[in-house]
Amino acid sequence: MKHHSGLLLLLLFAAISTVLPVQVSAKTVIDQLQRRVDVPDNPLRVISLAPSITEILFVLEQGDRLKGVTRFSDYPQQATALPKVGSYVNLDLEKIVSLKPDLCIAVKDGNPIEIIRRLELFDIPVYAVDPRDLDTVVETVLEIGNLLNADIIARRVAGDMVSRIKKIKTHVAQVVLRPGVFFQIGISPIVSVGAGTFNDELIQLSGGTNLVRGSSAYPRFSKEQVLSLAPEVIIICSMARQGGFERMKAEWNRWPSLPAVRNRQIFLVDSNLFNRPTPRLVDGLELLFQLIHPEFIEGR
Amino acid sequence: MPKDVPGITKRILFVSLFLTLLLGAVGFLGISTGSSGSGFRAVWWALVNDSRSDPMSAAIIWHIRFPRVILAALVGATLSLGGLVFQALLRNPLAEPYILGVSGGSAIGAIIGILMGFSRFPGVSMTAFGGSMATLLLLLLMSSGHSKFKDSLLLSGVMVNAFAGAIIMFLMSMTQDSRLHNIMFWLMGDLSLADMHQIGILALVLLPCFGLIFRFSHSMNLLLMGQEVAETMGVNIRYVTVALLVTTSFMVSLTVSYCGPVGFVGLVMPHLLRLVIGPDHRTLVPACIIGGGSYMVFCDILSRVLPEQGEMPAGVVTALVGAPLFIYLLKRSGR
Amino acid sequence: MKSALAVHDVSYAYGTTSILKNISFSVQKGSFYIIIGPNGSGKTTLMKIMAGSGKFEKGAVEIMDRPCGQYSRRELARTIAFVPQNIPDDFSFTVREVVLMGRSPHQGVLGLERKEDGKILKKAMAFTGIEHLAHRKIDQLSGGERQRVFIARAICQEPRIILLDEPTAALDLAHQVRIMDLMEQLKNEKGVTVIMVSHDINLAAMYGDRLLLLKEGRIVSQGPAGEVLTFETLEKAYGCLLLVDESPLGAFPRVTPVPHKLNLEI
Repeated sequence: MKHHSGLLLLLLFAAISTVLPVQVSAKTVIDQLQRRVDVPDNPLRVISLAPSITEILFVLEQGDRLKGVTRFSDYPQQATALPKVGSYVNLDLEKIVSLKPDLCIAVKDGNPIEIIRRLELFDIPVYAVDPRDLDTVVETVLEIGNLLNADIIARRVAGDMVSRIKKIKTHVAQVVLRPGVFFQIGISPIVSVGAGTFNDELIQLSGGTNLVRGSSAYPRFSKEQVLSLAPEVIIICSMARQGGFERMKAEWNRWPSLPAVRNRQIFLVDSNLFNRPTPRLVDGLELLFQLIHPEFIEGR
Repeated sequence: MPKDVPGITKRILFVSLFLTLLLGAVGFLGISTGSSGSGFRAVWWALVNDSRSDPMSAAIIWHIRFPRVILAALVGATLSLGGLVFQALLRNPLAEPYILGVSGGSAIGAIIGILMGFSRFPGVSMTAFGGSMATLLLLLLMSSGHSKFKDSLLLSGVMVNAFAGAIIMFLMSMTQDSRLHNIMFWLMGDLSLADMHQIGILALVLLPCFGLIFRFSHSMNLLLMGQEVAETMGVNIRYVTVALLVTTSFMVSLTVSYCGPVGFVGLVMPHLLRLVIGPDHRTLVPACIIGGGSYMVFCDILSRVLPEQGEMPAGVVTALVGAPLFIYLLKRSGR
Repeated sequence: MKSALAVHDVSYAYGTTSILKNISFSVQKGSFYIIIGPNGSGKTTLMKIMAGSGKFEKGAVEIMDRPCGQYSRRELARTIAFVPQNIPDDFSFTVREVVLMGRSPHQGVLGLERKEDGKILKKAMAFTGIEHLAHRKIDQLSGGERQRVFIARAICQEPRIILLDEPTAALDLAHQVRIMDLMEQLKNEKGVTVIMVSHDINLAAMYGDRLLLLKEGRIVSQGPAGEVLTFETLEKAYGCLLLVDESPLGAFPRVTPVPHKLNLEI
């Protein structure tokens, strides 16, 4: 008699799961991966599956809807108090399910597809985004705003981003010389950024020339190779602590033949402004522009 | 129990019963542990269909934790049995289930699958399986003409694993994106993607393998006296060796393809069980299956409970638990 | 004359090295046949071939007047039992378990013990005098005791022929004689044919009905001890100075090696 209870329970669950989560009304949307997703009209329990999504949600002032974030969601500060659902490459399925979300927002680059599938088996809608450059980041902001009924704020944020980008573009159009930039994201080994990365796009947009050629997104360099590139600006953006930066700067300073050393144009920047597909990329763009074209600060 | 039931049968039944109870206990613990905090009470309510049972907890217990516990048991059983068989076949106490290049070959296959963008199942699993089977075939071909077949097989296997390790390092150093994370998690053993359908298929294939190995357990006893002596006692060495080799490699490859190479289980469990139960494979085979399964379920519980956030990879826990255990066993057996 | 085991013109080479060449002999049923010769004479290889686990290129081996290839593994195991000189020392079953293994050619797949197995087991252990060791681990026994366990195991196979590979090589004098007496007893009481490879010429002379003397894979001499153990044949085989006379214990030869220090010329 008791061994039927397990079967009964499974049947009960199957019945309930068609109703779980309680959906008042829903709409079908197409996400950035061309998937059809049934999302609730007004999601109240959202889980963000990547730090960049968390940031966007807070920028859209929808932090109240957020019930769970991934481990390295460190911006803004309020995000660190939220329950953690694992890291974005190693999501904790059980934790996510236990938080009873009515919508999860995922990123293609990083979130394991198997977890996404299993979430959907639990009837949890997952909306996937895939921001690859500034334009798609702006689209992402608008789409997420639409999902969360925050279109007005989203349009404001997007508009702000677009106008600031436009301003930089206008400045850059007047630039005569585009300095060669070496953007270093790894200290040991030396790693730079190539085509297809946000950093590369920002360098181009801010009026610099990315000295890295080739199709590899994160190519490795020996010191010799960097020296032969003769960069005029070296941007070091590393998640390592300050000490690492000082040492690297000292290393480069031993080569006075480097234009960047001669012109004292070796800078440390916050990596989070350059590698997360969030509105802060525009902050990064503006920062980069200031560093590469200091002549514009003085005004013209 | 009737008087004329052979002593060995009584032993097998007694050991199996004891270990099954252990497995049940550890399994219950396993489905009561998890990051959502549902504990023993929630499990009990779910089991007896109490009205206080929360459907969300029940869903987590049956659809997330339960498949995982079953998978851990299957993996532990397969690896322990694999270690036992290879130790008997190769007459080497250091033999473990990956010794014939299985871990190296499947890792290369898996990495290729991950870099090609496949998902874990069925894509990466299939490339991993293909890699390990190809390696096994290569090894068999390389050693078949050799006079010292066993030694040649063993050495070649070790070399293949070492070479594969180098290739893996190379491939990993070339990968700079999130797929690198995927590779690393796979390499350390990952039980977190347990899905009940897939596990059902796995069990369906593994259980007959267990049965086959049990059938040869008496022959394994005889083999321990030396191949020539065993032959004169009626054991068809060639047939038994090939059957055991193929079956064991197949089932170990299958397991590794699904959740990555988990180490130290196949090496430690046979020695531990031999110390407690004795050298008779007719008892050791069921003991490895049930006892090895329990051990892996226990390690999986630790992997979910020990870190304050997230989980430790299965292979890390088995190494942390298994290595000291093995050293202890070494000292015990040295007396 | 029906033979228990007959070898017809068998040869075996390992690569280009010839191990055995044109070996032919026949062992009569119920006799005690001993193969002797210096190291490297091919005794061990010949033993393996007789036991059915060695390959050979030319020739034929007949067991109980049937070609050995016609026997299935199990049938062969019920006809010939092999007693090794030693087994790997990580083998730690109890004496009783080891002797019981001898019943496997008669048992099912899992080797489960039946009533008749227990009876045969008991008799074999009584015959070899090891009942008091039944529950000791075999790796804890002395060489002589271990040898008797192997013999008891072989007896449990209920064979017609028993093959022994240098059974007395590592044993003390008392055990050497004890083992040989056991074989004699086995031959007389049960009619089992005993074929032994031995390094001890004198024991061979004392117990063997017929001897086979090998050197470098070839037969030097075969026949009763008196014929095989002569000064000429032994010098040819062993290449050293040996004194052959009649043993004071009976009508069989006695062979004594002559040390150089005595400066004797024979």
